[in-house]
Amino acid sequence: MKIETRTEFDCQIIAIRGSADVNASAFLREALLAIIEGGMTRLICDLTETDFIGSDALGVLITAYLKATGRNGFVKLANPQSHLTEVLETTRLNRLFDVYPDVSSALASA
Amino acid sequence: MTSNPPKTDDMGAWTERVFPTSLAEIRGTERDVLTRLRELAYDEDHLFAVRLSLEEALVNAMRHGNHFDPNRSVRVWYRISPDRVEIRVADEGTGFDPGGVPDPTADENLDKPCGRGIMLMRCYMDKVEFSPRGNEVFMVKHR
Repeated sequence: MKIETRTEFDCQIIAIRGSADVNASAFLREALLAIIEGGMTRLICDLTETDFIGSDALGVLITAYLKATGRNGFVKLANPQSHLTEVLETTRLNRLFDVYPDVSSALASA
Repeated sequence: MTSNPPKTDDMGAWTERVFPTSLAEIRGTERDVLTRLRELAYDEDHLFAVRLSLEEALVNAMRHGNHFDPNRSVRVWYRISPDRVEIRVADEGTGFDPGGVPDPTADENLDKPCGRGIMLMRCYMDKVEFSPRGNEVFMVKHR
């Protein structure tokens, strides 16, 4: 898994590429929490190229969500592909996270 | 480890892997299983479902069963035919009651970072059974 970050307007876009499996979740946690601890609390996770996610990485996204919203920020999800969409629906995490078809619409909602 | 190897029947022999409790060991087993699935031309939906369920079972065995004790082992058996996948995962823990796990999809649990593994296994596999002691899980996915 690789993570690429960029800033657009006042949001941090985090592109998660590859498999967010249990072995990658610690790296994902470190990256997301470092961003939030650094003061950026408006996060958009770009899932366009995320081909797998396990429950550990879901837990990381939730932890980031709780920390960001606790500081009046947010974690939005953008463009999950079919398998990830199914996981979000199965777990009902699509009720917790705002999910958008692409980064642009996530940015527009921010 | 007290678990006995599963019996061989019409599905043929089981492949067995035993490894210490280390998350780094998971990828090798996943890779072997997914390679066999691809050889038999299983589609991407099946590959995703089996990978997810296998990972959840192995993580549960290491975290909740063996409490990440590197001196304890995880044992996996799997066999894959053109018709179905069968996987058995056993740990050296004291077991648990799967019925006692809170529903992670309940509104009050949606923001809990943990507790989704068993639910995902049940959703993505056709059959998920725990041993009476709760330290072994058997999963089946049909084509």
